Amino acid sequence: MTTTAVPTVDSAEKSARRGRPGGPVTGVGRPGIAWAAPAAVFFGLFALVPLLLVVVLSFTRWNGLGSPEFAGLDNWSRLLDDPVMVKSLWLSLVFTVLGVVVQTPLSILLGVWAAGRQRNRAVLSAVYFVPLLLSITAVSVLWRAVLDPNFGVPSQAKWLFGDGNLFGTQAGAIGVLVFVSTWQFTPLHTLIYQGAARAVPGVLYEAARIDGAGTVRQFFHITLPQLRNTVVTSTILMVVGGLTTFDTVLILTQGGPGTDTTNSAYYMYQKAFKSFDFGGASAIALLLVLVATLVSLVMVRLTGYDRMRSTMEGV
Amino acid sequence: MKRHVRLLRTAVVGGASLAMTLALAACGGSGDSAGDGSGEIHVLVYGDATNKVEKQLVDTFNRTSKVKAVLDTIPGADYQSKLQTIISGKQAPDLFFNWGGGSIKPYVDAGLLMPLDDFIAKDPGLKSQFLPSVFNTAVVDGKPYGIPMRGTQPVLLFSNKKALAEAGVTAPRTWDELLAAVKALKAKGVTPIALGGGDKWPTQMWFQYVYDRVAGPDHFQKAVNGDKSVWASADSKRALGMLKELIDAGAFGTNYDSVKFTDGGSPALLATGKAAFELMGSWEYSTLQDAYPDFVKSDLGYGTFPTVEGGKGDPANLAGNTNNFYSVLKSTEHPEAVAEFLKLMYSDEFVKGQLGIGNLPTTANTPKFLDGSASPAYSTYQYDLVKKAPAFQLSWDQAYPPAATTTIHQAVQQFFSGQTGPDAFIAAMQTLPAA
Repeated sequence: MTTTAVPTVDSAEKSARRGRPGGPVTGVGRPGIAWAAPAAVFFGLFALVPLLLVVVLSFTRWNGLGSPEFAGLDNWSRLLDDPVMVKSLWLSLVFTVLGVVVQTPLSILLGVWAAGRQRNRAVLSAVYFVPLLLSITAVSVLWRAVLDPNFGVPSQAKWLFGDGNLFGTQAGAIGVLVFVSTWQFTPLHTLIYQGAARAVPGVLYEAARIDGAGTVRQFFHITLPQLRNTVVTSTILMVVGGLTTFDTVLILTQGGPGTDTTNSAYYMYQKAFKSFDFGGASAIALLLVLVATLVSLVMVRLTGYDRMRSTMEGV
Repeated sequence: MKRHVRLLRTAVVGGASLAMTLALAACGGSGDSAGDGSGEIHVLVYGDATNKVEKQLVDTFNRTSKVKAVLDTIPGADYQSKLQTIISGKQAPDLFFNWGGGSIKPYVDAGLLMPLDDFIAKDPGLKSQFLPSVFNTAVVDGKPYGIPMRGTQPVLLFSNKKALAEAGVTAPRTWDELLAAVKALKAKGVTPIALGGGDKWPTQMWFQYVYDRVAGPDHFQKAVNGDKSVWASADSKRALGMLKELIDAGAFGTNYDSVKFTDGGSPALLATGKAAFELMGSWEYSTLQDAYPDFVKSDLGYGTFPTVEGGKGDPANLAGNTNNFYSVLKSTEHPEAVAEFLKLMYSDEFVKGQLGIGNLPTTANTPKFLDGSASPAYSTYQYDLVKKAPAFQLSWDQAYPPAATTTIHQAVQQFFSGQTGPDAFIAAMQTLPAA
């Protein structure tokens, strides 16, 4: 067994070092190109092809009727002059940052708490998980009714909500959007943190206890550092979710008051399917892709996600 | 260059139709005629409670016709978006529901619709059997493109009689009386006027009427035809000034932007007496009838929009949805069958069916059946209003092409919230494309 396996691995490594791609890789089951084919075909058909079509459309004028007309850089120059576009990018950023800032501490605390093996924690964690199972549409409709200024909660809590005009001011509308997304998506991140917290080796806590560290110190000096990679994963999910926030905006505010909650994703939808300006909408879509790519590149670089060092060194 | 464009077009159209074919393949192909007079016509309508009557008419039609009609529905809010994506493709219907005016103008421009002159020449009833103010809504560039196919929906000023009586005011006949009523109601702690500002189109209704009363119906007609200067006219500024005065008097309260009509918020305000008035389409009656039958029986009042002293608009003018229409695609393979189907739109069966579910048809034979309607007094009142109205202004967001809707809604909302002034409103309306 060993006598046959070892030299094979050795030769494969050597050939890789020599930089001969196509060199003989024998024995060990290294998947060939064919293995990637199904995923590649799907990705190509449902991600690359539409993306290419969007690139093409962004240089045309098209309202969905007849054939697109070539429009050169028209859509792009309009886009860069459009104050609503700049505002919408800014709003996307605000939603993202607020989402991360509000959800991360909440879900870390809940996740670490839920990682305990006590029975009551297991039951409550299951309850906390419920919002994630509901559709975003249903959740948005529900909160819209709960927050009705005349018949909902604000009418009974005037000391907190004033006249209840939550959807009539920018701060109020953004607050509602962030709150509803938090309510719905914190459970997902709680789940991620719960799993990660359970994976922290018990010996670390034993050692800390022997050294006399209390619960709080254990949390800050063992749990948090051990969750480092999880924080990165969860934050990237939140950022992607934040930049593409759409459903809640569509149902709760329709981008209003005015354009005060029109983020880029909603603006794109509005241009395409309300104003039937598919060219302009495609340009927004591409801009959003560019911005999102840029943001994720920066994040990967800053957080060291690409290196992803183990938190287990020395354990 | 030319070749590039063509290549580009082929690529995009090809890609888009590929995507659509994939998506729509499941819906099944339409039956093709075999040249023996049989086949299918697809009737596409807005999906809601009225479909009951449409289904019934399709059944009636299919009993005698060789070409069978198939009723397809698209649920509410998505109607216009979906229609636009299928109308120029293979899945296009033979005839479809619309709001007339700007809602079909882009399709007329794209050469997709069939002018109905030939149908009318063969059967004059297709024109003469309908009220002219309604029929004219679907006339584009001087040619008729639509046959009225549902009920008329003028916007009326609804009121809570009890709330009015408690504040010692009567239904206002003039703008000044309205302002006085607002003051009295506010002093009583009642929100004078319920407004579902979250939906934006209810806000637009106030503009439609004030502009009509002050500047007359020609003003908007000119604007929609492309004369942008009318928005900056003295009349336009006076109308905006009056609206501003009403808003500043606290007529709508402070939180109307968080209230919606569509989720039942603003009708509830009116029915519970928390507000005294609501300007709303005639469907308000059936909405309230469903949710608050006792209120409708005892305290619901309705009337026309107040007159404005020195204004150019006739006090009998109306605004709202004149009706919905069927328009016919040029690509239909069975024009004769379509014409036969359209004749049902002024049949007795149609009128009875519509009245039975609370809609008010606009055909010449409607008065015969008004007694059999869901609420005879209300139906008769409306029918007389529509018949006598010198002008019936189609809702602004439907008179302009769909592309203008977002701009109009934002402009009216921002003006009401005080975010922008008259100049910004005028500038926004001047950016709209002509219909």
